[in-house]
Amino acid sequence: MTNHAAHLFSISTGSAEPIYRQLVDQVKRLVAAGQMAPGDGLPSVREVAQALALNPMTVSKAYSLLEMEGVLARRRGMGMEVAARAGGGQSATERAELLRPTLERAAMEARQLELDSDTVLSLFIQILKEQA
Amino acid sequence: MTTAIIQSAAISKHFGSASILSQLDWQIMPGQVIGLLGRNGAGKSTLLECLLGLRETDSGTVRIYGEDVSQLSDATRARIGYVPQKSDLFEWMTPRQMLDYFRALYPRWNGAKVDGLLERWGFDKLMQNKPISKLSGGEQQRLSIIRALAHDPELLVLDEPVSALDPVGRRDFLRELIDSVIERGTTVVFSTHILSDLERVALDLAFLKDGRIALQGRLDELLEGARRVVGPASLLDGKPLAGELRRQRAQDGTVSIITHGGAGLALLGKEAGVRVEPLSLEDLFIEVTQ
Repeated sequence: MTNHAAHLFSISTGSAEPIYRQLVDQVKRLVAAGQMAPGDGLPSVREVAQALALNPMTVSKAYSLLEMEGVLARRRGMGMEVAARAGGGQSATERAELLRPTLERAAMEARQLELDSDTVLSLFIQILKEQA
Repeated sequence: MTTAIIQSAAISKHFGSASILSQLDWQIMPGQVIGLLGRNGAGKSTLLECLLGLRETDSGTVRIYGEDVSQLSDATRARIGYVPQKSDLFEWMTPRQMLDYFRALYPRWNGAKVDGLLERWGFDKLMQNKPISKLSGGEQQRLSIIRALAHDPELLVLDEPVSALDPVGRRDFLRELIDSVIERGTTVVFSTHILSDLERVALDLAFLKDGRIALQGRLDELLEGARRVVGPASLLDGKPLAGELRRQRAQDGTVSIITHGGAGLALLGKEAGVRVEPLSLEDLFIEVTQ
């Protein structure tokens, strides 16, 4: 079991996505990808707030949401850890859902460029192959 | 029910024939960390000064901790910290002399905090004994912030507190704000143009426009609710949207609407030729204050 440091997170200002949302999505991606395993400790709210220069309320809002969604669990005593079922239990469909915001943005731009589905899909397949 | 720390009702302020504040109502609740936004010349400084009783209003009332702002008791004054936009520090004094002078005025002066900040923010012996007029703009601003934090105020009002600071100085200031101010539950009101800093620390936003608070809300909710809807006039004309802030019609008949309603736009977004886009804080600032 690892205790993760606050540098794990990065946020960007100037985005249409609120900062707490960015933190939530980041934790979900790290857990889904196995970079954070069940039982791993999360940095404290205070550590993250200090490291990223954020209002602590924003960080605890993200943690609370992740707890509600069952991704994180509150440790007895202090702090948060990755919930037991959060990691391996996720199906490919659930992991794919994490791509949705990015793909929705891409879909919107595709529509603005008046591209048809086939062109866009074949481009995406090509990109997937390039990265593999 | 919680009582507001600052309660302003129908305050107005004119400079000559120019109306700066117009029947403005505003409340600051305990523990709020609220960013005040507005264009240059919108009257942000005037508003903050009026709220603190540093400038008389033409009409209306302001109460702080339940007291009329024109007759604040010393005890209430001691609960407030203020960083003005233009540093009004005693320029002929040295930083040390100025801080000693203020220490005598505040019963709750936190000497250890002052020394810690002086050291961390680069005020060495030499600089502490230099006349304030010889300090750079950024150094004067840092000193002004130290003075305002020194008595651990319960209400902190900052007018463009970082305008003269470089990115490193701004980050230092943000960390201090997070660590020793926000963590203590201090109520913070600040105006700034630096939206990235605002996003990091503010939980609430208020937009000042035409002498009033045009829009106020939780930062997260404003970002999540703000949308630009663009589509043909045939679909959007005569169809007011929830939370509509602005509506424009281009020459080609396209209508562009800004709303902070958010919900209920999903269906509209499925109509042919209609685009629904999220907005960044900068977009929202431009749309609301234009």
